[in-house]
Order: sequence, then C-alpha cells, then structure tokens
Amino acid sequence: MNPTSTAQRVDAHAKVTGALRYGADRLPDDLAYAVFAVATIGKGRVVDIDTDAAHRVPGVHSVITRIDPDELRSPGFIMANGYGFQSLQPLVDDRVAYRGQPIALVLADTLLAAVEAAELVTATYEAEPIAVTLDDPGAETITQAEAIPIPMLADTITGDADAAFAAAPVQVDVELHGPAQHQVPMELISSVVEWRGDTLVVHEGTQNSGAIQNGVAQQLGIDPARVEVISPSVGGGFGQKNSLQPHIGPLAIAARRLGRPIKLVLTRPQTFHQASFRPASRQRVRLGADTSGRLLAAIHEIDQQTSRHDLFPGLYTEVSSRLYGIRDFRGRQRLVRTDVQTPGYMRAPFEHMSVHAIESAVDEIAYATGQDPVQIRLANDATADPVTGLPFSSRHVAECLRRGAERFGWAERDPQPRSMRASDGSLVGWGVAIGAYPGSVTPAIARLSVDATGTITVAVAGHEMGQGIRTAIARLVADDLGIDPTAIVISVGDTRHAPQHLTAGSWGTASALPAVHAALGRLRTELGLPATGALDLRAEVAAAGRSRVDVEAATVGAGQPTEPVVDRLRTGLVAIAGPEYPEFVTFSYIAHFVEVRVEPTTCRIRVPRVVSVADCGRVASPVTAASQVRGGVIWGIGATLREQSVVDTRYGGFLNSTMEEYPIPVNADVHRIDVDFVDQPDPLLNPMGVKGLGEVAMVGVSAAIGNAVFHATGTRFRRLPIHIEDVLASI
Amino acid sequence: MTTFIVNGQKVDVDLDPRESLLDVLHGRLQLFGTKKGCDHGQCGACTVHLDGRRVVSCLTMAVQADEREVRTIEDVAAEDGTLHPLQQAFIDNDAMQCGYCTPGQIMSGLACIAEGHTGGDDEIREHMSGNLCRCGAYVGIVAAIRQAAGQTATRQTGA
Repeated sequence: MNPTSTAQRVDAHAKVTGALRYGADRLPDDLAYAVFAVATIGKGRVVDIDTDAAHRVPGVHSVITRIDPDELRSPGFIMANGYGFQSLQPLVDDRVAYRGQPIALVLADTLLAAVEAAELVTATYEAEPIAVTLDDPGAETITQAEAIPIPMLADTITGDADAAFAAAPVQVDVELHGPAQHQVPMELISSVVEWRGDTLVVHEGTQNSGAIQNGVAQQLGIDPARVEVISPSVGGGFGQKNSLQPHIGPLAIAARRLGRPIKLVLTRPQTFHQASFRPASRQRVRLGADTSGRLLAAIHEIDQQTSRHDLFPGLYTEVSSRLYGIRDFRGRQRLVRTDVQTPGYMRAPFEHMSVHAIESAVDEIAYATGQDPVQIRLANDATADPVTGLPFSSRHVAECLRRGAERFGWAERDPQPRSMRASDGSLVGWGVAIGAYPGSVTPAIARLSVDATGTITVAVAGHEMGQGIRTAIARLVADDLGIDPTAIVISVGDTRHAPQHLTAGSWGTASALPAVHAALGRLRTELGLPATGALDLRAEVAAAGRSRVDVEAATVGAGQPTEPVVDRLRTGLVAIAGPEYPEFVTFSYIAHFVEVRVEPTTCRIRVPRVVSVADCGRVASPVTAASQVRGGVIWGIGATLREQSVVDTRYGGFLNSTMEEYPIPVNADVHRIDVDFVDQPDPLLNPMGVKGLGEVAMVGVSAAIGNAVFHATGTRFRRLPIHIEDVLASI
Repeated sequence: MTTFIVNGQKVDVDLDPRESLLDVLHGRLQLFGTKKGCDHGQCGACTVHLDGRRVVSCLTMAVQADEREVRTIEDVAAEDGTLHPLQQAFIDNDAMQCGYCTPGQIMSGLACIAEGHTGGDDEIREHMSGNLCRCGAYVGIVAAIRQAAGQTATRQTGA
C-alpha cells in the first residue's frame, strides 16, 4: 500500500456528523407530499373507489386513482430486458394482483394532510381466491428451463447423477425450507422528484440509477437524456433497491400535473409489499458418497416462489454444482406462481439457500462416514470447474478452511453431538461450512477530470450503499497517483456524470476499479507521463499548458463484446459477464466456523463466536472489507435464527411487516466475529486482482450455524429460521 | 407557536399538534441527520436528546418539546469542526457501513455513556439494542463506545 493511503472509510466523517445526504433528504421550495393508499384484498378487482373524504382534507390537491396506460407504460421486468422490479405497474387498471398494491396516490401540501387523506380512501372490491405459499392449492408450479428457455437459466447437468447416486454406498436425502424474507434496508424507499423545465430530476436511494433514468423515460415516452437520477449514497440496498420502483412513474406524472416537486417516503409496511423480497424456496438435496466420504453424486432440486405476472428466475445450481469436485451433478429448478408482488434479489439471493442445503447435507455425509467436517471438505475440493472443465481463475477455499480451523481452535472439537457444555450448562456446538459466490463483471465507463488546482474528479458506474466502493476507488486513485485519498472527488450513482449500471451481485468494485484503472493510464498518457510513480497533478497540468484535463475509459468483462455491452450500460440494462468466462471460471470463497450455545431451559440459541476467512482476490480496501464480512455473518445469523416474512394465507400480504415484528439482528444478538482474508490477487479477472465480497460473506453462515446446532443438540432442523420451539420440541 | 431550543438556538415553529419531533427536525428545520427508518420507535435511527435524555423523535410529539432543549447529531462536533471522541471512535472502528443509522447510534451511544451503561461489552450491547443497524456494524459500534467511554473490553461472551 502506498504510504499516502489512509485506511479509513472516505465518507466516514460525513456519516458521523450527519452531514451526508441520502435520496429524500431535501426540501426544495414549494414541495408537495405524496402518500399511497393500498389494496386490502389479496387479489381481485377494484369495483369502486371513494376519494370524497380524502379530497375534503384541507391541503389535499388531488387523489390519483387511475393513470392512462398510454401515459404510463409498463417498465418491463428487469430480468426480461426491462427496468422494473416487476413488470406490473399499479394504478393503470382495476386489477389487484397482491395485497398492498397501490390503488391511489394522494398529493397534499403537507405530509400530515397526505397521510390523513390516504387513510380516508376506501374501495370496494371483487376478491378472488389467493395462493401465497408454495403449497397453497392455487399455486402453479412450472419448470424453469421450459418456461424461460435461455441457456443461462438451464438446469446444470454433468454426467449421470441419478445412476451415480443410486450406486453410492452412502446416501443422504434431505429437504430444506427457506422462508420468504425481506431486505429491510434502514433507509426507507423514498424519492424527491421534480421537473426542471423539460428535465425530470429524481433523487432516490437506489442501486440502479441507470434503470430509473431509462425506465422512467420508457414509461413516460420521453428521451432518457431528459432524466437525471442522483443517488450518491444509499442507506442500504441489499437488492431491494436494484431496479426501477413503481412509484417513480406516478410521481413524475403527478409532479408535472401539479407543477411542483414531490416527496414520497414509503412507510415501512409498504416496503414489505411494494418492493421485492427473497422468495420462499424448498430445496431437496441428494448426496452420494463412498465410505471414505468422497462425494460421488449430487442431485439438487429447487422449487422457488415467483409472482403471477413475472418469472423471477432461480440460479441455485450455478453455485451448488461448483462447491465441490463432484463429477455427476443434476439440478432442477422450478418456479411456483403465487399472488404476490414479484420477488427478487436479497443479499446472496440464491447462494444463501443453495449452499445452506448442500452444506447441511455434506455435514450429514461427514457424520455418516465418520469424517471430520473440515477434512471432508478439504478432501472434496475441486481442482477445475466440474461443470465446464475450465480452470478456476483462483480458488483458495482450502486455505480459508485451514486458516479458519487454526484460528477457531477446531482441533479441540469433540465430534460427538451433545458432548460439549459451557460452565453455565449450555449445550455448546461447533459447526463449519464453506460458501462460494459467482465472480461477475459488468461494463463500466470512468471519467477523470483534473483542474488547474490539481483537484481530481472521478465519475464511474457504481453505487455506494455502504459496501465501501467510494473508499476502494479513492484508494486505487490515491495509490496510483500518490495523493491523499480524501482530496479526491468521487461521483457514483449519478447519471449526469457517467452512465450507471446496476450495482449488485458483488460485481461493483470488480467492475468500477478496472475502468478507473484504465482511465488513470489514459490520464498519464494524456499528460505524457510514465505509467507509474507519484505525481504533482497541479504542476503536471500546468506543465502541459492546460487548464483542465479530461479522460475517459470503458472496460468490459473478459469475453464481452465491447460495443453491445456498453450500449446496454448506456441504456440502463443489465450486462453481466461471468462466472463462466471464455478461458476460466471465477468464484469468491469463504469458510465460516461457528460456535453456538443452546441455553438448556429456554433453548435459546446464541452465537458467541464466529471465525470467517474469505478469498475475494486482492483486498481492495481492508477496513471496509472486514466490515462487509462481519455484516454478512450477521445477515447469516438473522437468516438462520430470526428472519421470516410470515404470509397471510387468508388475506394475502405479509403479517410482520414492521421492524418490531420482522426481527433483524440487534446489537445484543452479535458477539465476537473474527475476520481474515487470504488476500491473494486473482490473476485473470482484472488487473487489480479483485473479486467480489459483499455476498459471499453471507453464504454458508446458515449451514455453519445449523451444523453447530446439530453438534450441540443432536438434531437436524430442516426449516429456517430455527426457532426456540423447534429446539424445545426436540430436546 | 412552539419554541424549542434546538442545538442551542431558539426556534419558533407553528405546529400541528399531530406532528412528530422527527418530522419537524427533518422535514421543516432541514436537520437531515435525524433519520426516519420506521416512524414507530422500533429502529432508533431518529434518536435525539431531549433535555439531555435520548428519545426516539418519531414517537415524541413536537409540541412536547415546547420550551425544552433538543440536541441532534449536527451539534455533536465542536463549533470548530473538531469531532467528539465518540464520533472519532466510530471512524476509528469503522462502526458504520451505509451510515443511515449512524447519527442515531451516536446519539444513543452518547447517552449510553452518560447513563453509565458501559460497564462491559454485554452491557453496552444491551443498552444499544434499540438502535438497529441492517448493515451489521454492531462489533464496531460496541468497540467505539467502549473506546470513547475509556474502558477496555471485557472478556465476557454473553452467551
């Protein structure tokens, strides 16, 4: 590291002083407020809507109950060449597809008036029967590969897994259930939308300002160049803010009609019903092994919830087929259509449950064959990608396991279940699991400007939602030029300064840094300077006889055709390369070691200690990276022991749609989390050697906890989250 | 007309009795550091001090603050910009990710220290559990409060 680099998060000062502005933190002159009224049936049709009482509230301007579909077109579904988290646009017809769908938008001078009026909107409905769980009679199950016949979504099949499983001397056949869950970022979904002349300006915390820019332009039938989306800092996204939300189009129309800027902040319960969530899934895993624990065959079958109006595709077998060197693998992914808003991406969207299922089954193989859970994982490590036969660009999962076992003190473990106890009588369990996450890359354009004072401005595709992309960019530029990272002006998430791609899937840093790196090379060329070494930018700009220097560079993933994918970047569409590249396959890896304690009377499960060792290539920003891994571990604790969005099978919707009743981990749930990195650069993915980190951090945590709970209690719990009452019933 | 002392300044506001202190601070006085995460007193992102005690401003009616002193995150650093030791400790321990909950965490952390609830990591955790952090910066938050309280870590695991 260059000695001028500082380790700290570059926007930390603004965060601790309250100075950092998020999307809706603004009060433009003449601001009006919008609040939604929502459907109170699970499915059906609005027969009549009464807005008289709402109109009578002082300060109310209008109540929009219907927008002509020609004035507000469908945004399209993000996974079908569109922009929206779902294709369905509320307010354009009388259909109700799910409980909580907006049926009216109230506009008023004050927030209080808008809230009061929205409460007074009433509707009569024709209700229809609903199906909201995988097992409800009206749910429709379809095979993904047939419903969406594109290669990326085909079932992964290598060899003959059914024959190999049938012949295997040791067999495990398990079915695991994952609940619907919600992302619950702290920042509510919220916008300030205004017209400045013919230009629509959207302030919104988003992971995808490019989709908002191009998507709302498509919905309104205007030129995307006339839309500016500004999202420099996001108060957490976790996948829920990864696309165009359906409130933006109505707000843009309302702001135009009213001639005023409009602010909308969804209520917390509305964020559970008007945006995406992690779909419920059922995972059946059959693993076959020889008596030494050598894995011979895996069959992984998944049923995953989707909506009636969109097919949200599952990519569960992409990771489960690569976790180990298993030659014979068969995957099957099915989608179950239910009456909900379209589910979507939530941190480690497929990998969390996929790996939970595989790693729970591997633990059972370890016990069935008398193998140590760490040793069986080391013995089954893959040397090349079992699906394509290509080499992995880098794979250090064995080192993660070895280093983690050492740090955790795994050698002290007595493998016998219920054999270890704490001094207070608690049952102690130690569990391990590995995780992997695909290494993807997207196109990015970076623009660098240096002015006469030597101040450098960097604009690039990427969004800062707390993962630290701003810090990683600052460190790269500071180290390259030998300057103070806090003096660099960084613009991310702003369509005015660079085209913006979706930031998700742990590809943000690995996509933005190569573009910035390439632009730094251009800058040196432009100024006639050597390729490396510290610079006095002010002196160099002056020496070149310039008042300002601007350079731009575009980068794409290995094997991506430049022109088409940069076109997709410019039009706000996803353009993802990997994890299969022409000459290699890239994944990030992690190993988690977990101690649980099960209090003997209440059966409360606590997690006093976690050791996690990650292989994310070179660590671009050690401080923010360690925070990301701790956060991912905490997400794993929540997903395993707490979080479940409880569905209402009678009336639709989610019952626990508040922060009190949807129990994300609190401070007292979290204890020691030790994080370490292999920190070996990936030699192929990009010149910086960086792979993704934010999601792999969570992958495998739930299996490690579940395996530890088995070690403590002697019982396998196959349904997440593991509740006290489940453990009580088993002991 | 209601009169608050907000961060040492006298402020006169014409209030609707239904307005929360949060909506007045954030939505009228442009003190954007006080955040709305739930509006129901469940997340702590809107924590401010009212006469020196921590309150969730979303569940505090603004009229209740009449003639009282309100302190927000904007008043924690010194006038010359020098950070409070707890703010510095949050930076030193990277006790944040997205930063949205951070102002509330710091206002609660200041109160946690003032209340004397920093006897050990478990005590800090318990008394900071009204402030949710979805990014999961809890390890850093506890370390920052411990550092600012001038205490060393205990070896309790709390399990």
